[in-house]
Amino acid sequence: MPERPVSTPAGMDFTGLVRQHQAMVFSIAWHVLRDRAVAEELAQDVFLSLHQHLATLESPGHALFWLRRVTSNRALDVLRRRQRHPMVSLENAPEPVALSPAGDPLLGTALRRLVGALPEKARAIVVLRYQEDLDPAEIAKILDIPVGTVKSQLQRALALLREKMSRTLGEIGL
Amino acid sequence: MNLDDELKSALRRHEPPPDFTARVLARVSAGPARTAPLAGLSSTLTRKSTRWVAAIAATLLLAAGALEYRQYEGERAKSQVLLAMRITASKLNKAQKKVQMLSHRSIS
Repeated sequence: MPERPVSTPAGMDFTGLVRQHQAMVFSIAWHVLRDRAVAEELAQDVFLSLHQHLATLESPGHALFWLRRVTSNRALDVLRRRQRHPMVSLENAPEPVALSPAGDPLLGTALRRLVGALPEKARAIVVLRYQEDLDPAEIAKILDIPVGTVKSQLQRALALLREKMSRTLGEIGL
Repeated sequence: MNLDDELKSALRRHEPPPDFTARVLARVSAGPARTAPLAGLSSTLTRKSTRWVAAIAATLLLAAGALEYRQYEGERAKSQVLLAMRITASKLNKAQKKVQMLSHRSIS
């Protein structure tokens, strides 16, 4: 069990931070990477890094921001390393099969697959927007990009997702 | 279909495997804070030393190649000199025989 430094502020206990944020870190990695095993490995690495940087983080809010930022950037790094292997772009992605309306797990699976086919930055933006419920300004800070870029990429990604989903739903008469 | 709601539902958080926290704590207890930089250093050194070894090997190969080539050139020059000497010796021999024949004829 890691020792808690005497000067650690309240809510900055390492084990507590892991338990509190593991679902967030793991899910950002999983939704961006679409690979459970790699996401798990990345999430562990992020928490090891958190342990090393804990003394530099001032508050639970700072730790949360740090975790979101490090997880997103590391997941994007993994995607960039994967670029050598061709991926199917959203425009060329196959239509999701046999969808039914809202709340259906199949619809969720199809949406996750389509999000996973978005360009890397847009994917991270959509994940931070909808998984973490962050506004464009917060996403811009985490990804260190202009707010305008976040907004335009988000709009474009949503338009593509909407088009793909409605086409599929229309085809099956829903 | 409300895309915003569907995305929120599709991209909701998921818990990692139940032993996730335990595995993170085990890795922290194993001393990653101390071992990670060393591992990085070791990896850097390995990468650097690999480059050095490759550079030295390439230099040695070039040097060996140059030496081999010089030896080959030397051997070729030597054999050419020997051939020239043999030709010269043979010509001299013939010339000497002719001189001897002529001197025999003039005496007789």
